[in-house]
Amino acid sequence: MPTSPLDDSAAAHGPITAPGHLAEAAVADGDAAAVQPAGHGEESHGSLAQYLAVFAALCFLTTMSFFTYSSYWPWRDEPQVGWAFMMAVSCTKALLVVLFFMHVLWEANWKYVLTIPAAMMAIFLAVMLIPDIGLRNRMVAQERALHMARPADVSLLERAAKAANEGPHHADDHDH
Amino acid sequence: MDASAASLGHDSHGHHGPVLQYQPGLPLTRGKLIMWLFLSTEIMFFAALLGSYVVLRFGAAVWPKPHHVHLSEPIGAFNTFVLICSSVTVVLALEAARANKRSLAKIWMLTTLVLGAFFLGIKAYEYSAKFSHGIYPAAPRGLIYERPDLYYGSAVRARLGEPAIIDRMKELDARPETELTSDEVNGRRRLQQVREMAMSADQQAFDLAVIADQVMPLPDDAAGGHGHGGGLNETFPWLQLPIVIPGGNMWASTYFLLTGFHAIHVIVGLIVFGILLLYELGPKHAGMIENAGLYWHFVDLVWIFLFPLLYLF
Repeated sequence: MPTSPLDDSAAAHGPITAPGHLAEAAVADGDAAAVQPAGHGEESHGSLAQYLAVFAALCFLTTMSFFTYSSYWPWRDEPQVGWAFMMAVSCTKALLVVLFFMHVLWEANWKYVLTIPAAMMAIFLAVMLIPDIGLRNRMVAQERALHMARPADVSLLERAAKAANEGPHHADDHDH
Repeated sequence: MDASAASLGHDSHGHHGPVLQYQPGLPLTRGKLIMWLFLSTEIMFFAALLGSYVVLRFGAAVWPKPHHVHLSEPIGAFNTFVLICSSVTVVLALEAARANKRSLAKIWMLTTLVLGAFFLGIKAYEYSAKFSHGIYPAAPRGLIYERPDLYYGSAVRARLGEPAIIDRMKELDARPETELTSDEVNGRRRLQQVREMAMSADQQAFDLAVIADQVMPLPDDAAGGHGHGGGLNETFPWLQLPIVIPGGNMWASTYFLLTGFHAIHVIVGLIVFGILLLYELGPKHAGMIENAGLYWHFVDLVWIFLFPLLYLF
């Protein structure tokens, strides 16, 4: 029954849409879509319990990345550990959101057509930028070289802060 | 087969005569296809922004600690929580609309709108805290200097030499101690020392660092990041002396660009939700809710990466 309007319209299109072939292809696609649980609304995409479980997982993961900031985080002296950990946590969260909230888990195969090229482009773009990290400070504008901070400036400021805390200013702070 | 035709998203009103039929290349509705295509461009857009941030962040000789720029990690984490909640509510709105529970769908949609607005409110609060400390992007610079050098010293001198500031300082000096709080008394003495140091003929490099520390101390991480009280700029807000934050200018540029673009996306999402609230949120409009939801989840997704990169790295 639903194939007839398709056939009619295909005939009406004539040469533009190459009738028989496209209609068949569309029907075949339709079958494929019907076989998949994805569909468009007939079947539930995920139960309430599932969504709440994902929500709890997201909250837990946020707490975990926040944990790196707390004093209980064991690798405070090696920030790289925390960075890697947080990126892993973020990727997990992103995956949960995409799979469950954006329903990608239940979608038909078109999801790969759209997401994989975009993801590859995004990763490629980020990778292309990596050499800049190494080269960034080798060549800077004169104005920037003049004004940009260096580790020596930070230690100078730290010494000043230390002196202020131990020196006369600090004593004054406590006099009043 | 009926179900499959419906799932193709065709208008099945082809019974009265030949009707031009759109043949989709992919088995999904046009709106959803366009939304996904749009999102894939958005992925690349934010990948470029985040990638540039990472380059600037890790390529910089010095990058400020979150507390140096008055970032509050708990506020950031709370904002993440708010956005995750709003993602859940928009999913629930979609489910309710599909089940034809229209009023329930509307309630969830309204909750999403409120949560999104709440996120923006917190963001605005954070922005205003930065602005009030003189932290904002400006060319060539606002109040932020990267190092306590001669340029910084002369900027402090220039500010202290402004007629309006001279008047305010005279006024402050003339006030009896009983009228002032202990902070102000203390601050007044420190301001006098800073004035002497800034104007002194035999100024040392260390003096400039001391001035910078007096104007706005960089909180120590070991102190839990709350030791920044007592800077002269804080005690006397009218002073607005130049401050030193190593790496602060680049930080301000990237922070406001990234969070600003994200906030724009949030605002667009709120507008979409506002429009959706005008409709009956039944199965007929479930597609619209789904597309708006896809966009909103993406906004959530971006924040999931922004939060650790900006607040915790």
